[in-house]
Amino acid sequence: MAELVCITGIGCLCAAGNGLDEVVNTIFAGQRRAASPRAFTTSHPQPYPVFAVEEGWDVEPEDADLLKTSRLGLAAMRQALDQAGWSVSDLRGLRVGVCMGTTVGCAMNNEAFYAGYRSGATPDMQPIRRFLASNPAEVIHRRLGVSGPCQTIVNACSSGTDAIGLGSQWLQAGLCDVVLAGGADELCRTTYNGFASLQISASELCRPFSVDRCGLNLGEGAAVLVLEKRSLRSDKSVQGLVRGYGSGTDGWHLTAPHPEGRGLRQALTEAFRTSGIQPSQLSFINAHGTGTRENDRAESLVLRECLPNIPFHTTKGYTGHTLGAAGAIEAALTLAFLLRQQMPASAGFGTPDPELAMTPTRVVTPFEGNLALSQSLAFGGNNAALILQRGERCL
Amino acid sequence: MTATGTTVYVAGIGCVGGFGAGIDAFRAALKQGCCSPTPLLQQHPDGQPFVPAYLAQTDKLSDFVPKRALRRLDHYARLALLGGYLALADAGLSAQDCEDLGVIIASGYGATGTTFGFLDSILNDGDSCASPTSFSTSVHNVAAAYLSMQMQALGPNLTVSCFEQSMTAALHNALCWLQSGRVRRVLVGGVDEHNPVVNYCYGRFFGTQTAAVLSPFSEQHSALPGEGAAFLLLTTERPGLSPVRLTDVASGSGVPTMAAPTDVVLAGADGHGATAPFYRRLSGETPALRSCTPCYGSLPTGQAFDLAAATLMLRDRCCYGLCAAPQTNEAGSCPAPQRISVVKYSGDGSYGHVRLQLEEGSRHA
Repeated sequence: MAELVCITGIGCLCAAGNGLDEVVNTIFAGQRRAASPRAFTTSHPQPYPVFAVEEGWDVEPEDADLLKTSRLGLAAMRQALDQAGWSVSDLRGLRVGVCMGTTVGCAMNNEAFYAGYRSGATPDMQPIRRFLASNPAEVIHRRLGVSGPCQTIVNACSSGTDAIGLGSQWLQAGLCDVVLAGGADELCRTTYNGFASLQISASELCRPFSVDRCGLNLGEGAAVLVLEKRSLRSDKSVQGLVRGYGSGTDGWHLTAPHPEGRGLRQALTEAFRTSGIQPSQLSFINAHGTGTRENDRAESLVLRECLPNIPFHTTKGYTGHTLGAAGAIEAALTLAFLLRQQMPASAGFGTPDPELAMTPTRVVTPFEGNLALSQSLAFGGNNAALILQRGERCL
Repeated sequence: MTATGTTVYVAGIGCVGGFGAGIDAFRAALKQGCCSPTPLLQQHPDGQPFVPAYLAQTDKLSDFVPKRALRRLDHYARLALLGGYLALADAGLSAQDCEDLGVIIASGYGATGTTFGFLDSILNDGDSCASPTSFSTSVHNVAAAYLSMQMQALGPNLTVSCFEQSMTAALHNALCWLQSGRVRRVLVGGVDEHNPVVNYCYGRFFGTQTAAVLSPFSEQHSALPGEGAAFLLLTTERPGLSPVRLTDVASGSGVPTMAAPTDVVLAGADGHGATAPFYRRLSGETPALRSCTPCYGSLPTGQAFDLAAATLMLRDRCCYGLCAAPQTNEAGSCPAPQRISVVKYSGDGSYGHVRLQLEEGSRHA
């Protein structure tokens, strides 16, 4: 990437906290705030634990009629703009793009409405109106009243990573002065039952990369990064830089990763090529690390062969798998860890899996250096990677 | 306005909709100005028993994909695959040319059929018996995934969903990819499928007395739902005959700024009352305002069909579709266009604006 893409604001909320500082403190304290779902009921014999956002984050009455996914995105956006020091009126004078990843936020899957329709009743149309009014990127675009590209990315679990990468490309292509990029997703019964049906939900806390890993825990949350060219406000403090982005395609299976990690290798190759950075320059890797058998097997193979001897960890043991938000939340966390120059322990990791031959960090680990990689794998064979740089030393 | 610094060509188009499958079927409908919607049994006691919709058939997909490989594909994925393969064929490419092909899918609603099918499995049999197949094929990126798997199109792969602005959004990214050299070729398509639940929502929102025909420039609500897929194969390599260039992609609100003269504005006016005022304003600015929506119906990614129609108009050096000014619908009243703007409005007044241009000095195909 030729043009420097600066990150001047980071907003993040998930089960681990409301605001990036709180989230990071929770993670370094080793807390895992999972519980049985409270927002909906299920008839599974044994509930699958989820990582839900704690109450108290949703304070804007004007957002009340939107899907929770979009409200989470708006909350993250406000945090990010506060940190970046942008007022809405200032943004309206600029070309501001919005690029958000999601899964649930674009799914027309309201179960109560559909059950009513199916039964021949005349269901309330409010759920459909809410769905139509809640496209996550459009909500932010509309609320800010900005002009510029507006897109919601639905690349399943790599959506958040792709949204940040694409937003960076818009800046470099000269389409925008500022881009708000990230992801948002809420817990919902449909995805909860979907992952259970695929038999990849864990009935206990997830154990990524462990020999006895037994699936993922779903989560919810949002993260938004304020991306801007360095030249826009050279006096502004910078949290970090997007140095490289790459994506790759498995072309293999709808829900299983390519066994050799074909698409992930392609994504890494492109991210390193566009950044001009060598793998040896990385201080750590934030792995996708869902805790499913197949994901961790394919991902560790690629890490072992393409990025050997670089420390890695996964944060899904603290946040759950937040689907379309995951890549954005993990990018935000990667930046926070770079600024703190410490990486947390991989929550849930226990006994190493001899087949993987890779061990994530078990304890809080200090490091030197300014660069890290965050990667995502997704249903549909989508893979994406971001190379991020710590901000304060770049200017 | 995103002016393309790199020259980008539309090397192929492929479409399937209520008019049939392929360019010839689409051209025939465009020449006629419309095609007939199909009466569809409404599976709900509210409203009238039959409602018209522009429904697409995907039988022709077996020309490209072995029938055995099609068995587990749902209608949404079939629409996408057929549209994509037709665009490749139009560009003179085969699946063997796809290794580095980028794929971008735009969809307003995604795979609604399998989404509701998944909910059926829960409502019928309980949470523990939810269908894993329905869930895995209900994800929004399923069409892009099947394209990559079937064609072994292993370039960047992306799905965007922004209702009516989905296709413009997809093109923004396609231009970025082509200009930065990320890809040499990218297949960009709009896909949306019809579903009885969508029909039901139409009835609840717009009244149960549906119009007999879609009248794009009428002040009365006349939207009739449609479905299908329309794809453009974009490349930086110049096609041989009648090269059509994609010159600008823009989004905004209000009336689009036409940065350069345009011969025809192709409006995505699809009979929705909420967007009709915006197209009427456009009519005041642009005498050569036309619409092809009666050929494919109302669907969020209808702009993809307008882009295919505009490409055909430029290639054929002929105006198709209905004109907002009725007197100019007469034969020979529209000179051969060189530049066409395609405009799609959302209900809030935001628009996507794409310009296509026939390369000067090009020979007729």
